[in-house]
Parts: sequence; C-alpha cells; structure tokens
Amino acid sequence: MKLQKKIAASLVTGLLVIGASSANAFECKVKDAEMAKPGGFPDRALTMIVPYGPAGGSGQVASAMAEAVTSLTGVSINRDHKSGGSGTVGMTAYMAAPADGYSVMEHIDDAASAHALDSSRPNPATDLIPLVISQVTFSQIYIRTEETRFTDWDSFVAWVKAQKGKATIANVSKEGSMERVTMSFLTDATGMEIQQISFDKGAPRYGALLGGQVDALYEQPGDVRKFLDSGDFKPILTIFNERPGVFADVPTHREKGMDFEPLLRFRGFYVHKDAPADRVEWLKWAFQRGYCEDSYQAFNEKKFMTVIDSYRDTAGAIELINTTIPQYRDVYKNMGLDVK
Amino acid sequence: MIENFLLGSSALFGDPYTLAIFVFGVLGGMLFGAIPGVSMLTLAAILLPFTASLTPAQGVMLFAVIYCTGTYGGAITAILFNIPGAPENAPTAFDGYPMTRKGLAGKAVGAAVLCSAIGGVASALVMMAATEPLAKWAIRNIGPPEIFALVFFGLAVASSVGGRTIWKGWMSVALGLIIATIGQDPVGGIDRFNFGFSDLAAGIAFVPAILGFFAVSEIFVQAEKTARGRYEAPPVNMEFPSFFELWQQKIAVIRSVFVGFFCGILPGIGATLAAFMGYGEAVRWSKNKESFGKGNIEGVISSETANNAATGAAMIPLLALGLPGGALTAMMVAVFQMHDLEPGPLVFYNSPDLIWVVFAAMFYANLSILFIGILETKTILYLLKIPFQFLAPLILLLASIGSYIGRGLVLDVMVMFGAGIIGFLLRRSGYSIPGIVLGIILGKIGEQNFAQGMQMVHYDLFDYLSRPVCLILIIAGTLTLASGLHKAFKANPA
Repeated sequence: MKLQKKIAASLVTGLLVIGASSANAFECKVKDAEMAKPGGFPDRALTMIVPYGPAGGSGQVASAMAEAVTSLTGVSINRDHKSGGSGTVGMTAYMAAPADGYSVMEHIDDAASAHALDSSRPNPATDLIPLVISQVTFSQIYIRTEETRFTDWDSFVAWVKAQKGKATIANVSKEGSMERVTMSFLTDATGMEIQQISFDKGAPRYGALLGGQVDALYEQPGDVRKFLDSGDFKPILTIFNERPGVFADVPTHREKGMDFEPLLRFRGFYVHKDAPADRVEWLKWAFQRGYCEDSYQAFNEKKFMTVIDSYRDTAGAIELINTTIPQYRDVYKNMGLDVK
Repeated sequence: MIENFLLGSSALFGDPYTLAIFVFGVLGGMLFGAIPGVSMLTLAAILLPFTASLTPAQGVMLFAVIYCTGTYGGAITAILFNIPGAPENAPTAFDGYPMTRKGLAGKAVGAAVLCSAIGGVASALVMMAATEPLAKWAIRNIGPPEIFALVFFGLAVASSVGGRTIWKGWMSVALGLIIATIGQDPVGGIDRFNFGFSDLAAGIAFVPAILGFFAVSEIFVQAEKTARGRYEAPPVNMEFPSFFELWQQKIAVIRSVFVGFFCGILPGIGATLAAFMGYGEAVRWSKNKESFGKGNIEGVISSETANNAATGAAMIPLLALGLPGGALTAMMVAVFQMHDLEPGPLVFYNSPDLIWVVFAAMFYANLSILFIGILETKTILYLLKIPFQFLAPLILLLASIGSYIGRGLVLDVMVMFGAGIIGFLLRRSGYSIPGIVLGIILGKIGEQNFAQGMQMVHYDLFDYLSRPVCLILIIAGTLTLASGLHKAFKANPA
C-alpha cells in the first residue's frame, strides 16, 4: 500500500512539474508598467476588507495580492479580516465603508451566489466594480489513494449505489454554495444517493477523508495539493469541460455523460461602484498589473491556479459574474429554494 | 529521539539570531496572550509577513513558541482581573479570580505558571516521541460523533459549576447554549436569530462575550459595592503554592495532561475544548464539587495544565498530516507555504532539521514559562494595588479594545456591554457565569459535531451508539446528569 502511495505521489508530482512548465508561458495583459496617480491618489494606505479568516484561501490570496500591489506601487495595503456568515459580515462592512477608493474588498463566487438567491444582497458586477479576478479554479472528487473498495469514478458510482444512501462525502456546509449545487448536479446525473457531511473548515474536512471517516471529498485541487503531493489523495473526477493538462489521466464530468455547465470557484478584488472614476482606473491598473508580478504568479502557481486561465480583467470578471448569477438562480429555482 | 533533540537544541542555541527570535517569541507570546482580546493571534498576524525573511525553521519555530507562551499568558489577567486573555483561559478565571478576591492571587498565579509549564513540557515530550502514529490514530478513531459525545460528557459535569443551586447552574448552561445558536447553522448555513443584523450572521463572537460576562459584569459588581461603601480591595499575597499543596494535586495534573493532549490532537478542536474538558474532569472526580467556581486551586491547575498540554498535541496533526488544530496552527500552514513547504508527512522526510528545531523550541518555551512566569508574577501582582476607581476604567478600555479588534465591529463592543449587564443581573440572582460561557463555547463545538455526526450515521441513533467511544461517553454523561438531578431533588424536593 505504501508503494502504491509513493507511485501515486511521484506521478502527481511529475504531472505538477509538467503543469508548472506549461504555465511558464504567462504573458501579462497589462502593458503599462506605470500609471500616474490621479490627483495624488492614493496618498495613504489602502484598506482591503477580506470577508474570511487570514489562513484560508481568501486570506492567502489577499495577502499575496496586497504584497504584489505594494511592491508595484509602493502603496501599503492593510488587510481587515471580517469573517463570518459565508462572507456576509465582510460584505456588509464593505458596503458601509466610504466609497472613496481607499477601501477595496476581496471576495469569492459566494458573493454572486448570495445575490442570485437574494437580489437585495449586493451584485458584485453592478454594485461593485471588479478590479481583477485573480484565481479561477475547478473542483474534483477525491478518494484515498489506498482505497480498495473503489478505484475510479465508475467503480465509485457503482459502490455508492450499492450502499443505498449510506455512502458519505465531505463537503462544505452552506446550502446553495457552489460545492453543494455541483454535488446536486452529480447526484442527479448519476442517480447516486450519497450523504454529504458538512464541514465548514478545511482541516477537519480533509482529516475526515484521511482518517476514513468519510468515503470521498469534494474540493478544489489547490486546497488539497499537499495531499496530492504526498500521495494520500487521488482525484477520480474533474468537474470541468476539458481535462486540464496536470490532470490528464482524470476523466471530466462531461466524459462521464454528465451534461451540465461546471460552476467555478473564483476569487477577486472589488471597489465600490460610487468610487471616483479616476481612482477606480488607477486601482484597476494596480491590481491587474499586480497579478503579473512575479511574486503573485509564483503564489498562483503554488496554489494550482495556473492550471486553467485564472485571470479576468474588469470586463471579463463582469462577464463571468453575469454568467454565474442566472446559472445559480436557475439551479436554486429547480431546487425549490425561495429565490428573492 | 534524544540525538535529534540535541541536534535541534544545538541549532536553536548555536545561532544567536535564532536564539533572539526564540526569546522574542517567548516574551511576545506572554505579553500578547496577557492583553485581553488582543491575544497571540494578533501578534501572529502582525508577524506573518515578516516570516518570509526568516529561514523556514525560524519562522515555524517563532509561531510554535508564541503558541506555547501565548496560551499561558492569558491566565494571568484571568486570575487577577477576571479577564481571560483568550477563550482557552476562561475556565482559569472560574476559580482563579475568586482566589484573587480571597487574597490568594499568588497561589493561583503560581499554580498556573507551574502547571502550564508541566502541561506544555509533557505534551512536547509526547509530541517528540510519537507524532506520526498518534496523528494517524486520532483521525482514524475520533470523528465528529465522538467529539460531540466528548462535549456532552464535559457539559454534563461542568454545568453545575458556579450556580447557587444545581438548577440555576443548568439554566445558565442552557442560556449559553441558546446564545450559541445565534448565527448560521452548521449544516445548511441558514441564518438563525440574527434579528436582521447581518453582522450577527457569524454568531456571537467568543471574545466579546467572555469579556462581557467576566470582566464587565465584575466591574459592575465591584462598582455597586463601591457605591454602597462595601468595596474592599483584594489583599495582595505574594505567597506561592507550597510543594505539598502542589503534590496534593498530582492526580489532577496528570489527568489534565491526558485530557488536554487528547483534545489538542483532534484537528480543528484545540486548546479551548481542552481547557473546558480539563476543568470539567476536575469537577467530576472531586469529592468537593461545590467548592469549584468559588476559589478551588484544582480548577486553575486543571484548566492551565490542559490548555498547555493541547499546544504540543495540536502540532501533531499539523506536522504529521498538515491539518491545523486551531487558528494559530492554521497560520503556521501559511508560514510553511511562504517557504515553499507544506506541513504533512513529507516534511519529516524533507525537512527533519526544521522539525527538531521546532520540537526543541517548544520544549524550552514551556520550560521558560516556569522561570519567566515566576519573575513576572512577582511584579505583576502589584497591579492589584491599583485603586478600583483607576483600575476599572482601564479594564473597561482594554476590554473594549479587545472586543473591537478581533473583527473591527462596533457590534462586538455592544455585545460585550450587553453581556456585562446581563451577567451582572444574573450573578445577583445566583446564576452561573462560567455556566453561560461554557454553554456558548461548547455549544458551538457540540452542535457542529452533532450535526456532522448525525449525517455520518444517517440520522440513525442506534448506528450512532454502535460506535464504542460514543456509547461509553453518552452513558457516562447521562449518568452524571441523572446523578445531578437526583442530588437537586434531594436538596430541594418539589
């Protein structure tokens, strides 16, 4: 079994190297290396509201982007973590902050799905201006590498069906989240009945699979990279329209006959729509160019965020959000949720 | 192991820069741990970007040392002023502060210093000896159903602490449990009881609630006494506990090391549950249960031994499996990642030097609690001589800053004052403040694990009880509740 894990680990590591080298073809889409500060803005530090804790995915991307923007512009960015309520607390605090351009916000696709469910919540494409979306990723289903009851997606589905609802998968807790909605797509398409176990923090969720408390795990590859590197986990299904090069041996949901548009996890940076236009332009430049900084690119590569195109400028981000919101809204209606 | 430990020690003490970082971590952890609400997490968050310029071993070691001494640091203010520096020091205040009011602050602080060191050193030794097998055992055998059973078992006993009657103790815990339900539910993320305040979506934060119920309500109590001319400053007594007094508590110490270690090793649980469980077990096995909450040194010993025992244990799932046990260990993951490393099984093979520097540093950090703590105590006890009219505003100011700084929400300061007023009124009526805090903290942990556990057993109670650890703990907890009920009826027949 240990040999199996070592082989799996070396295979994954090898694939990661290939993936990393393919990502070296990065080309910065923002050509201007400098931009004059409009009316001296900013003449003091910016505040970045982060609606999640410092150690999670949002905290880390906020830290990496703040470092990149500061290194590029010399402007300090103070991160203010207002966590809780799946991003609600941070969003509320941000909307109450002065719209002067000195406050920016990090947020994830939860902002779009929250608006899809309740239109009184801010729409990140219209109530805010996306400065840049700097991480876009897909999800996968993972099992333990040493698992013997099933070894791939087909045997997993067959095994789950044989358990008659007793099989378990670790997932996030929030109903209506990208993860929960995608799981409902998967179960509808395959006819599987599987109990989802709600974990709102990563560590217990990954520990549950490592320790055999659950049978499978729903997650994004960057978050479980260390377990892929160590050979403890292996992906059996990629929920994306094509096989990313790094996971060339893992089938996609489309290949397995599941005909739904994959929902993506995306993390980006925003400013209030009422912020002065010239300041917004400068912030767009700073954050989009910050994405090109070596330190940020190295961070994204480490986090598996160069496997697919992670970059969306303002127009691209608005398009992504505008595509995502009706997608969620349709799903919620089909799920019988009260869409407001 | 000994050879590796000596190598780690020589790397730590052989390089002046590494040693300076170690000393900074020891002192910084103690200081920030002692400032209410600010806590070691604030220090860690401030230092996080700077660790990029350190070597990986120095960066991780710095955080590990802050974790050890920061966990102890909050005990001092908990004992002297009823202000726990962090949630894991809350049970220390249950008996520590009543000891201060009785003029036994020296004994309480001395016991906290010694037992924090013992708990920390013991867990560091076990961590060095058996990190990998212990981590794997824990994640295979202890899941959410077992953690809920553990919480139930702990609540069953500790719920009687501090109330004028058992009924009032239980009602206090029930109030805490109700408060813990505010915010999104742990299964579906559905908003509950937030009364339209989106800031309450995350629930009532622990720190403002603890500061309100303990520190602010205490200020109101003392202010009332001052207004009525009945205030008496606590006598300042520098006397440390004698060797005989501590020797009498040896069983409590050993038990708390085990309890703290067990709780610390569980991913996502950490020192807070350890401290409450350690305290609860002290009450369970005591022949003098009624003395808890009124100044029993065993309460201080159990809580402080257990929370520091959890520090070494929390490093086990982090280092062996890459699973952080709490907020500070989660930040350590970021330190690893800044240096292109990932905590987990491979780190033992790829970076053994780093591991042993960290292990050695944690061992010495826990030892240093003993020496620095004794020196610190001799000076810090004089703070008690500050007149109440100066001390009270200072405490209120610190508590307000501590409440606000966590999330930068004015709501948290309002929660603190609200909790202070409610706490003041309930104390007058004989309800238990420790019980309420116990309910809030264990309620959140318990509900989440209950929900996850029930999902795992497909909502089948028989399936749940077919897990041996669950069965034993649920039976033991139920018997404890039944015994308490029997005593309550006997003491106050209907």
